[in-house]
Parts: sequence; C-alpha cells; structure tokens
Amino acid sequence: MATRTFDDKYPGQPFVQTDNSLESRKELSDKFLGIYNDTGSQRFWQISVIFGVLFGIGLLGYFWKIFATKDPGDFGYYAALFSFLMTTSAGAPMVAIGPRIANAHWRRSISRVAEIWTLIGTVNLIVFLPLLWVMPSLDNGRRSLVFYWEAKGDWWFPFLIKFSGHIWTTVSIITLIVLGIVLLWVSVMPDLALIRDNAPDGWRKKWASRLSRGWIGSSWQWNWQRHRMGTLGALYFMMLVLTHFFISTEFLMVHVPGWIDSLYPITHAHNALQGGVATVMLTMFVVSRIGPYRHYISLDQFHGLGKLLLALSLLWFWFWFCSFMIFWYGKKPSEQAILKLFVHGPYFPVFLAEFFFVFFIPWWTMVWNPVRRSVWGPAIIAISVLIGTFLDRVRMYVSTWDVAGISADKLAANGGQFSDEYPRNMMLNMTILDDPAFDRIMIIKNFEGLPVPTSAVLPTAIDGVIILGFVSGAVFLYMMASRLIPVINIWEQKELLLYNAEVQFHRAKVKVMGKPR
Amino acid sequence: MLEHTQLTDKELNDELLRDILTMPKWWLPAVLFLAAIVITGYSAFGYMVFNGLGVTGLNRPVFWGFFIANFVFWIGISHAGIMISAILRLTQAEWRRPITRAAEVMTLFSLAAALHTPLFHVGRPWRVFYWIFPYDFSRGIWPNVKSPFVWDPSAVGTYLIASTLFVIVCLIPDLAILRDRAKNKITKFIYAQLCLGFRGTTRQWKLQIVAGILLSALVLPIFVSVHTVVSWDFAVLIGTEGWRSTIFGPYFIIGAVHSGVSAVAMLMALSVWIYGLQNYIKPDHFDAIARLLIVVATTWFFFFFLEWVWAMFTLESPEIALRELQVGPWPWGPLFLIFVITSFVIPVPLWMFRRFRRSAAIMFFTTILVNIGMWLERFLIVIPSLMRRSHLTFDWGSYSPSLIEILIVTETFAFVALGMLLFAKAFPLVPIFDMKEGMRNRHLIKVGRRVIPATIREGLPHHYYNKEHH
Repeated sequence: MATRTFDDKYPGQPFVQTDNSLESRKELSDKFLGIYNDTGSQRFWQISVIFGVLFGIGLLGYFWKIFATKDPGDFGYYAALFSFLMTTSAGAPMVAIGPRIANAHWRRSISRVAEIWTLIGTVNLIVFLPLLWVMPSLDNGRRSLVFYWEAKGDWWFPFLIKFSGHIWTTVSIITLIVLGIVLLWVSVMPDLALIRDNAPDGWRKKWASRLSRGWIGSSWQWNWQRHRMGTLGALYFMMLVLTHFFISTEFLMVHVPGWIDSLYPITHAHNALQGGVATVMLTMFVVSRIGPYRHYISLDQFHGLGKLLLALSLLWFWFWFCSFMIFWYGKKPSEQAILKLFVHGPYFPVFLAEFFFVFFIPWWTMVWNPVRRSVWGPAIIAISVLIGTFLDRVRMYVSTWDVAGISADKLAANGGQFSDEYPRNMMLNMTILDDPAFDRIMIIKNFEGLPVPTSAVLPTAIDGVIILGFVSGAVFLYMMASRLIPVINIWEQKELLLYNAEVQFHRAKVKVMGKPR
Repeated sequence: MLEHTQLTDKELNDELLRDILTMPKWWLPAVLFLAAIVITGYSAFGYMVFNGLGVTGLNRPVFWGFFIANFVFWIGISHAGIMISAILRLTQAEWRRPITRAAEVMTLFSLAAALHTPLFHVGRPWRVFYWIFPYDFSRGIWPNVKSPFVWDPSAVGTYLIASTLFVIVCLIPDLAILRDRAKNKITKFIYAQLCLGFRGTTRQWKLQIVAGILLSALVLPIFVSVHTVVSWDFAVLIGTEGWRSTIFGPYFIIGAVHSGVSAVAMLMALSVWIYGLQNYIKPDHFDAIARLLIVVATTWFFFFFLEWVWAMFTLESPEIALRELQVGPWPWGPLFLIFVITSFVIPVPLWMFRRFRRSAAIMFFTTILVNIGMWLERFLIVIPSLMRRSHLTFDWGSYSPSLIEILIVTETFAFVALGMLLFAKAFPLVPIFDMKEGMRNRHLIKVGRRVIPATIREGLPHHYYNKEHH
C-alpha cells in the first residue's frame, strides 16, 4: 500500500522549517540560566535593601495603626492601600492568563513577569486581616448580600449571617492567593527542573529539586501541565472577578446608604485588569531596560500590552460614564448625594486627577502610533495609570470609610439596631416603609439624604508610612522572588522555537508563526 | 486552523461567484416565500395605520410591547457584524476571514429591521419627519434633545452609516472581480460604478487596507454607544422598577454580543448547508466561534446575575415585587425559565465539548436556542416592568400581543432573511480578496509527528524593529 506523502495530505500548502535543534534549545537555556545563576548586580542589592528597609518601617506603622486607631473611619487610606495592592498585584497575572488562553505568542517572554506578582498576595493578606476587625457586622443594620436570610437558629447560623461579609471576602481572597501561587508553581515547574539539572550545587539546586516534583518532561507531564494551567487560569480569572465583587460590595457599597450601583463590581474588577496591565508593563520595562532581558522583551510585548491598555482605558471611561449618567440624569436626592461624595464634592480634585491619569492621558497618547509603537511611551503611560488607579482607590475608599463613620453615629442616634424579625413577605407591602418597627427600612429612609462630608480626609503620617512601606514591600518581595524564579519563562521561549520561522515573501523577509490550537 | 483547503485564485473566484453569476434552483421560491411574509407584515402594518394602535395589544399601563422588545433584539443582533469583523480584524484572528462579510451584512439588515420597528410602534411613522423638519418654528417646537429617544435614532443612524461604509470598503476589491467577470453589460456597468475604479494597484490596496483598519477602530466606539443609548431608553426612566440600573448599558452590550455572535454561528451553518461553503467554513471555524461564545455567554450570565443581585440588594418592596412577578406567575415564570435555559443552561454546557463545538448542526441548534432566549430576555425586561409601574390598582393591567403585532414582528425576521438572500445574489457572501490573502499567508510547520498551521505574522512594520535595535 502506497503511503501518503506530505504533499498528498496537504496539497499546495507551503511548508516551512523551524530551528528547533538541540543546539538552539541548549543555547537558549544556557543564556537564561547564566542570567539566573548570576547573583545580581550591586545596584540590585542596594535597591533591594532600600525597599526592604522601607517595608520594615511600613510594618512598624502597620502595628501602630492597628493598635492605636479606634475609629473605623480612620482606616480609609489603609483600605485604599489594600485595594490598590489587590488591584495591581492580583490583576497582573491576567496578562499571562488571557493571552495564553488566546494563544498569543507575544506573551511568552512576559508571562512569568506577570505570574510572579501572584506572590504579592501574601503581603496583601497582612494588610487585609485587620480590616476584618474594622468592618462592621450586620448588627448595625447595614444592607447586605444576604438579603432575606434571618439570623435565627443554632449559634452558627446567626454567626454566618452577621459575619457573612467577613467570611466570603476572606475565603475569596485566600482562594485567589492560593490559586495564584499554585498557577505560578505549575508554570515554573519545567524551569525548576532545568535549574535542578544544570545549576551548580547549592541552595538553588536543592530548592529547584524539591519544587520541580520529579519533572522530566514526559509527554504525560507536558499534557498535565498544559491542562492544569488552562484550568487554573480560568479559575483564577473567575475568582478575581468574584473577589472584586465581594470587596466592592462589602468594603464599599454597603457602607454608603443609597449607593446602589449594580455596575460597580464590574468597574472594580476592570480597574484590576487595567492596573494589572500597567503593573506588568512597568515591571517588564524595568526588567528589560534596567535588567538583563532587553533582547527578549522587545517592542512586540510593549505594543501588544499598549493596545490592551488603550482599550482598557477607554473601557474605564465607558463604565464610569454608564454609572455617572444614570445617577446624574435621575436627579434622585440620594444619588445626587452619592455623586457629591464621589465626584464633585470634597474629593473633586482627586477625581479630576484620576480622570486625567487613568483615562485622558492614556487615551490621548496611546491613540498615536509613534507612542503606542515605542518602549518608553507605554511605560510612562503605565506609571500614569498606576497613579490614577491609586487615586481612584483613595477617592472611593477614603470617602466611603469616612461616611461609614458618620453612618455609624447616625445609627446610634436612631437607636439603630437591626431587628432579627424580618418577615420576607412583609417586604412586599408598601406600608412597611412607614413602620418604625422595622429598623433597617427606617435607616434606609433616614439616609435618603446622605450626609456628605464637607472636606476630604487627608492622610496621616502613619498612613503615608504604611502606604510607602507596603508598596515597597511588594517590590521587595518581587525582587527577592526574581532571585528564586527565572523572570523569563524559559520553557515557553524554547517552545517558541518550534513555531517560529522566517521566510522570503516576495522581496521581504517575514516571520511565520505556528498556531498549534 | 488545521482544517484548510488550499485553493488557487481561479478556484476561489469560480466557487464564490458561482451563485451570483448563475441562478440556483432554490433561490426564487425562497425569495418569493420570504417576500410573501414581508408583504403580509406590511399589510398588517397598513391595517394598523388605518384602524389605529387599538388593533395591537398595547394598552395602559403597557405601552411598550412586542415592537420595542423586537427593536432591542435586532439592535442586539446587529452588533455581531462589528464584533466579528472589527475586533477579529484588529486582533488578526485568522479564522475571521470567511465569516466577516456575512456578519457585516447581517448588521445592515438587522439595523434596518430594528429601525423600522419603532416606526411601526409609534403608529404614525410619517411623523418622524417632524424631527428633521420641525413643523412649527414660531412656537419653537423641537425634539427634546435631553431625551434618549432623540439620542437613540442618532446613535443607530450613525451606526448604520458607519457599518454601511465598512461593508462598502471591504467589498470594493470583490466588486472589481465581479466587474471583470460579469457577462451582462448592464451588471458589468453597475459593478464598475460600485467598485470605484479599483484595479488592484499598490496604492489602492494600501488605501483599502488602511480604510478598513481605521473604520474597524472608529466603528467600535459607535458599536458600544449604540446599545448603551438603547439601554438608556429604559435605564434613565426613574419611575419604572427593574429598568433603572447602572449596569444596563454594559448588560445590553454583552447581551447583544451574545445573541449577535450566536446569529453569526447560525449563519455559518446555513452558509455551509445552503451555499455549500464547506471548503471555507470548517468545523474549526465552528469550534473557534463556540469558544468565543463560551466566554461571551459566561460574561453575559455574570452581568445578568449582578443585575438581579442588586435588584434584591435595594430591599425595596416594588423592586422585589417586580422580580417575583418576573419569575413567578403565568406566563412570566415559565417564560423566564425558558429564557434562562435556552440562553445559557443548554448551550454553554454543550459548547464545552469539542465534538459538539465542531458540529454545524449542534451549533445551529444551540445558537437558535440562544436567540430564542435572548428575544425573551428583552420581552421580560420590557413588559413586566410596565405592568408593575403604577401603585394605583385601577391602573394595573397585563399585555398579550395581537395577531397584527405577531405578523409585523414576523415580518422583520423575513425581512432580514430576504435581505441576506438578495445581497448574496448580487455580492459574494465570503470576502474573496480576504480568502486569497489568507491562502497566500498560510504555511505549515512540522513539529514531531504533527503538522501545525502557521501564518505570516501581520505585526509591526520592520522599520520599527530596526529603530528598536539601533
């Protein structure tokens, strides 16, 4: 029986040869391992020490804050810091996950840069835990996602209801951090095996041997890794959105009576994607232009992410405007008060600055080809977006936590205790709104005209120390992680050799890229 | 895309122009059948104009019924053209090539269907001219520019113009082929006029490509604004429970993309069956669009979930009563169940399996279900909210569509199908020049025992890299 030739099977289709030789792969591995095994420049360690010291000072401020501050309203900047770290560090891995699912080759040299940010979740967990003590239970009569459930029955059920917000934010944040770290581990496994087999004896070799879990690169292991990374990536994205849903509700919306914005959880999650892209862009700029990876992180990566950042900046405006428009057009007193609080009230300068940094500057610069198709342009815009994102978190969290303090006072003045008796069917009766027996309804009515503060809350010195300290802590941890984990994904770079070729096309040489799926 | 049939330019021309230059047997009966439905719909409309809006089921307090639900549905479908064509073009997704034209054309006809539905709804469509030519200057009667009902036609009109331009720009090279191949002098003359003297010079190609990219980028904000403005027809109305929600803009958009992309998948299956385009639309294409649909459908479902969560979160009795009405009593409860099951519960789990994703029949079936569900979604947004509008019991009422409304709404479906058939008779439904480009760009790479499809990378111009390295 005659065997089918390549031409029989794929008639008329041109075939190209890629350079996937053992020598090419070894050369690539050696280059990356050489950089990895280097103990780092003196400048690297000097900068690490500075960030480490700042982190230490931040930790001192942190303990000062949690033991010396009584009023929850004073935790606004602290909550903003938590949200900012959550926005940037937890959003960054999406730069690896999204393009990997879409099979975009340009992500290969920056996927690890993005994934390492998952480790910063551990720093953010330290910031998060005290907020659980500050966040009020449902006893104070605030609205909640538990809706009609009555806090009745055995001790555990009322506990679950009253502390529902605490429980699901904690569970979701921890799950997100764990998922991120597992994703990083699964992704780094083949590179750890490479380090195990090639690094000189020492702590790195030992650490790589333990964590590579017997990786030998069998077909089964590669399939296993590919599927796990796909599943973990999808789960991470879903968990990210869910976590932002909980945070934006339990740390923001429930504290401001009358603020019912069904779009806001999406806006909050979108900020995370925007902040994540900006974080990765800035990191890859540092890694490639100050660090040793200039030849691997090139214009392609900046161009790819630049387009994404432009799209996300436009989306920011759209989401913001959709919410603003409905509140502004409706002219309901409670919603006008919300706009006054967040937009044109005491935080107007912050809003204006945020608007410029997070939308106007990225939009008006990145639409131009010379800016988008450069290395410096997207990197500078990334800084602008990060500043804008931080201002957004300050505007939303500081004002919310300030109002939460006022609301608590008002509640006390009204004798505001949420009644456990809360029959569901009574809700359907309009007359309930006038019945003072139902404290929650009464409270909502009372706050139709939300008391808006007349001046913005300014950060204290301790707030400044904590913010600087923990942002430095995040950078410090990242720098330390870069000594343990290769910052460039070596196996993904080697995989690219399989799919990448150059061919003559008429008078030009062009790149041909294979798409395996 | 591994599945691929490599064809020469001549084979492409012959296959894709076959149904234009010759008359398929089924074409005339199909056109006559659809035209009969359209004529019936227009007759029903004439009857409505003659007798007044009393012949419809619209009555206090439900003044928006089938027509408006149908309007929102068609606006939603129209989003597919831009979604598939512009976004996939900008992201250089190779699998877009055979399906962009059909999607773009569907945009045009569904927008036309959407636009004439509110004209029917107002009962006296000729009054639309008062918007353009206000009839009483002395009393200063002008359309209220603060109303979304003025923004709406402006947005939809802009979208129609932009989409038409987009279709024309992408059609020009194919019109030139038709000009060169047409045998009849009159048709040759018409195609010659339409192709604007395109001869395929380097400059013409460059202009055509740049225009396509620019229009792709410019039309995207319009695409977003159109359905956002449509959503504001509802969302800015402060007194109607269930409508006033900040999420409505993005929720309408993602719903539109869900139903629109589903409609494109449906159209792909029909193109394979009716026009025999199996050499161009492969199981891989169904697989790609199904994977896109999984993402879109899941996002849509999350938005739907959020819309409900925040309705409950208000703890306001009228809002909660409305939600109970939507999911409870006959017919709303069963309709709600059908809506959720058809738009998400059945299709998405099926799309999880590669075998089903690659089947034209399954994709056709599931995407039909999605569109049934998404039509019902719009119906359930419009009607129950209006039924609950008043707190005064004497003003409570229900709604059931009359035969006239059903005929007119059916007409819009026939109108779109007829439009597509007529278009496909005059112009190629698969962009020939785009397919040729895809054939030239395509290569194969052998990795071990596997063969992997590869394509020439349409990245940055080379001088950018040179600049970077120096």
